[in-house]
Amino acid sequence: MISGALGALPLFIPAIPFAFVFGVVVANAGIPEWLGWSSSPIIFGGAIQVTLFTLIGEGASVAAAVSAALVVGARHMLYSVALAPQFQNQPTWFRWVGPYVLIDQVFVLSQLNPIKEPDTFRRYFLAAGFTFWSLWMLFTAIGVMLGPAIPASWGVEFAAPVLFVSLMMAASNRPDKIGAALLAMIMAYLFAELPNRAGLLVAVLISVLIMLLVTRRGQP
Amino acid sequence: MILTAIILTGIGSYLMRAFFIFALARYQFPPIMLQALEYVAPTVMAALVVSLLTTPDGELVAGVPEIVGLIGTAIVAKGTGNHILALITGMSIYWLLGWLL
Repeated sequence: MISGALGALPLFIPAIPFAFVFGVVVANAGIPEWLGWSSSPIIFGGAIQVTLFTLIGEGASVAAAVSAALVVGARHMLYSVALAPQFQNQPTWFRWVGPYVLIDQVFVLSQLNPIKEPDTFRRYFLAAGFTFWSLWMLFTAIGVMLGPAIPASWGVEFAAPVLFVSLMMAASNRPDKIGAALLAMIMAYLFAELPNRAGLLVAVLISVLIMLLVTRRGQP
Repeated sequence: MILTAIILTGIGSYLMRAFFIFALARYQFPPIMLQALEYVAPTVMAALVVSLLTTPDGELVAGVPEIVGLIGTAIVAKGTGNHILALITGMSIYWLLGWLL
């Protein structure tokens, strides 16, 4: 339980500047602070929340803003598939609660050291998930109140790609996984023009398929 | 109206996260599926990095400080497995090169 919470802490650092970006987006969209913040417990997904309010601020319709936000969050379906085996020997209540805190960092943490024992896995997952959840509630509240507290010229947003590179390396603990990651980078670049980061999903699917074809060739 | 949008997005993003956990709760995963799932974490992280560094038009917005910073991050992450150290390294290289160049 403690290891889950401790594992979550360093991975939250890059989310802090993002909470302030979120605050700026809410202010620019002319949305009341409390209403903007309410998306943190209701949606709990930074990029999804930012996309939604950016589009609402630009005057998009509810349908257009919601669907774009959901396309941005579509990668969570992949996490849902990838975690399905580990959720099989779990109580039903955990199948309901777990997905609520299933974000990028929680997913990668749960994949780094796959825990076979169901009880240990559940405690780790919930501890990591709700540590992130509490911190995100706190920092988005500060974000909507303070708005642009961190000057854009500092470049703290760069912490996000840095964190994901670090997580990518941690998740690539075998040569074939490093190959898969490099392939996904190339594919993501080739498909980067697809709207709302849909290219991300396409890139992942193509890279996984290629890796299966390459590693399984010649096998029965 | 905004609250409606928030609630709809909340329901949608919860369903995306929960759907396969419920749908595949009794599914016997064949070995090829399990192997495919092992690639999800590295490939999604890799694709996320690229999507954070590209504009919506598909233009790469990473200069020398970004590229060198991320390579430094990757080396430290691989060597130490320490995310804080990797973060400090990446940001230091990025800031230093951004200030020098």
